[in-house]
Amino acid sequence: MSEDSRLTRRKLVGSAAAAGAGAALAGAPGALARPRHRRRRHKVDVAIVGAGFAGLTAAIELHRHGKSVVVLEARNRVGGRAQNHHLPGGDVSETGATFVGPTQGHILALAKRFGVAKFPTYDVGDNVYYRDGTRLTYSDKSPTGVVPPDPTIVPDAAAVVTQLDDMSTEVPVDAPWNASQAPQWDGQTLESWLERHSTYSANRNFRRLVAVATRPIFGAEPRELSLLFTLFYIAASGDERHPGTFERNFSTRNGAQMWRFHGGSHLITQRMAKRLGDSVVLRSPVKRIAHRDGHVIVHSGRLDVRAKRVIVAIPPTLAGRINYLPELPPNRDQLMQRMPQGNLIKVAAVYDTPFWREAGLNGSALSLNGPVNATFDDSPPDGKPGVVFGFVGGDQARGFARMTGGERRAAVIRNFRQYFGPKAGNPREYFEKNWTREEWTRGCPVAIAGPGTYVAYGPALRRPVRRIHWAGTETSTYWNGYMDGAVRSGERAAREVLDRL
Amino acid sequence: MCGALATLLTCAALPVSAANERPRWDTRVLALVGKPGYPARAYVAPNGRIYEGTYTNPNGGSRPSLVREYLGDGTLLHTWTVPDQNLSGDQGIQVATSDTRGRLVLLDRSPARVLLLNRHRHIQRKRFHTYARFRDLPPCSPGRSGPNCSPTTGDDPPVPNYAAWGPGGALYVTDYLQAVIWRVPPGGGKPTVWLADPRLDGSDFGTTGLVLKPDHLTLLVMQQSSAGGADGNPTSGKLYSVRIRPHHRHGALRRIWQSRPLDGPDGFWIAQSGRIYAALAGSNQIAVIGPGGRDLQRFPVIPGPGSNGSAVPFDTPSSVMFRGTRLMVANQAFFSGDSTHQAILDVEARERGMPEFIPSTAGLSRQRR
Repeated sequence: MSEDSRLTRRKLVGSAAAAGAGAALAGAPGALARPRHRRRRHKVDVAIVGAGFAGLTAAIELHRHGKSVVVLEARNRVGGRAQNHHLPGGDVSETGATFVGPTQGHILALAKRFGVAKFPTYDVGDNVYYRDGTRLTYSDKSPTGVVPPDPTIVPDAAAVVTQLDDMSTEVPVDAPWNASQAPQWDGQTLESWLERHSTYSANRNFRRLVAVATRPIFGAEPRELSLLFTLFYIAASGDERHPGTFERNFSTRNGAQMWRFHGGSHLITQRMAKRLGDSVVLRSPVKRIAHRDGHVIVHSGRLDVRAKRVIVAIPPTLAGRINYLPELPPNRDQLMQRMPQGNLIKVAAVYDTPFWREAGLNGSALSLNGPVNATFDDSPPDGKPGVVFGFVGGDQARGFARMTGGERRAAVIRNFRQYFGPKAGNPREYFEKNWTREEWTRGCPVAIAGPGTYVAYGPALRRPVRRIHWAGTETSTYWNGYMDGAVRSGERAAREVLDRL
Repeated sequence: MCGALATLLTCAALPVSAANERPRWDTRVLALVGKPGYPARAYVAPNGRIYEGTYTNPNGGSRPSLVREYLGDGTLLHTWTVPDQNLSGDQGIQVATSDTRGRLVLLDRSPARVLLLNRHRHIQRKRFHTYARFRDLPPCSPGRSGPNCSPTTGDDPPVPNYAAWGPGGALYVTDYLQAVIWRVPPGGGKPTVWLADPRLDGSDFGTTGLVLKPDHLTLLVMQQSSAGGADGNPTSGKLYSVRIRPHHRHGALRRIWQSRPLDGPDGFWIAQSGRIYAALAGSNQIAVIGPGGRDLQRFPVIPGPGSNGSAVPFDTPSSVMFRGTRLMVANQAFFSGDSTHQAILDVEARERGMPEFIPSTAGLSRQRR
């Protein structure tokens, strides 16, 4: 990277730092610059839009290969959908991306590289299942696994999971739209398929259980999800050596919720940003990407960047809000219009101790009632304090968001009491994160595809457009929607660019 | 010998280093190959990446073939969908080689053609370029062997199978069902029958691998069977050599090795030692053949089950190509159809492969040279 092309603190307004980016900005001379009369134009090899895992990974890779980069981040922090919540005593809980698991080798390697160790999610003891006032506990080591041993749902659940896993093997993770039955599967929702292929319609409890699964996984109801997209998501819950399965996606033991990170997943992105230094520019939402002769100009709210290539590492719906010159091909534009973010709210309560552990519970609950349909033990490694968090997604999230703050808190604590007993009624702290209210995310955990989207527009998902390359977890072949997918996408986009520079 | 202190230190370090090294024949799954599956060739490009095309599903299929790009650690990087295929069920693609510009040379089965894939072009219609199309040759009348006929007993369509660049930039292509080797002129265009020989008639199990020897003059040609009846035991495969002579002529086709019955040798590559590593699609083994044609070793020793110590046994292994000291084996699972066996396997050979010969004019049209 030449000195001229390197973005320095003097050249830029604002910089990314590690933890406490805001404080660092305030303390650095010139960092909190006033609005300038004349825009500065900076010249780099690659401009990257978005400082989440995908964008930062791409930047690190390009930087490692001697390319100059600038990462433009709309927020005043890095991390995207990873964000820490600080607990009393210095520990953290996560309001966004939390878990990692086997076959997620890319995020695990990245964390190791940046000195962030993993630790096992607390998984000793029984799970809780709650339905209409009835609570039972069960071990996920039982033959039904994470599926609650409710006789009204087990037969259907076992059959449907087996069938979906089997169908997912027909879906190429790199081209789901190319599956032999892609048109048929993309022509229906998960719900309409269930209506036809099980006793779903008649089995009200099983219907409710399916939604309990799709809400935390997608932030959506079964009626909102293309069957093909659902099968792809299952197929993507693995890696090149291990075919994806629903169980690996949904389970804690040997599944995607198996480990957490010391210091929270957000810490990884903070360390990545620190490594990149002044190349990360916060509070710079990109408004426009314009192709010029042999280069591209990326216009953000605070500066313009001239680059040979640009990587757009944000969710499709946000990418669709950028103005492109010339316009994007219709298929790409249509794709961005048709992949909304899921609707997911994360809620958490902090207790002096993880008291549920003493009762032989691991903190995981599945409830057919809600609004909290699924919970996990989110306590720090030493169990001090005790933290339990829950997912409120899909229809539950839509209703929940209409409540007042007090009503929401009361509803969550009521649920926690139902699942873990009276001690859950007196948390030391309650906090929540409604990702749909985040301007620069607009929903979590992932962009979803309804019927018809993948077959019609899927091929545009990763295909570069002129000098624009696409990253973000939604573009990943494996662990789409997860941190691992984001890292994979950043690595892939960086290689795409390196091949062309 | 470890006399000097420095040498002693080196010796002391050796066991650690050796512990990290993989033993010969250590086999791992590099990547499972998703649908449409049936990988027939894992091509290792000069950039170190591995390219695999999805080949014909014997049970038929209506979806186009895919070309996939993997990193050396098995990470799936990119996928391209092959355009304009005849989706009758026979469609399949093999990544045969690459040209001097890094474009991938694809052999398409339906239609029978050579495509160049420019990985860096974004626009689909500009990404693929037709380099040659193969003719369906009529069977030769008895006693004749060309030039515009196939010396086979049956009348089969062309199936381009493997390819190798000649020293002048011509592309030589084996045909699985027609008993000929094609020559595509430098820069592409109309292929001509370069070699037609009844010994290349294997009926449904015809000519497979093709590699240019380090002398850059001699092609090694693998024959999966001699089911056409023109060269001894019809169930055994053969390895032939043939010289490339000036003026598009060829030398004599000489047999240098014969496989055991039903071995079904397919793709192969040459180690720097001169030893030849061949995938035996019938016996589910890898054969090591001496430069003089002697059988040196088989892995695994027992033919049939394909047990190699990895999670995926050899199941119609169809090609080998070196990546450093590792053999990239395309495990096609053609007969079993078991999609959990369709994979690229990574087999440690503990010796290096011969670098691929790609002449500086490979793939370039006359104007660009």
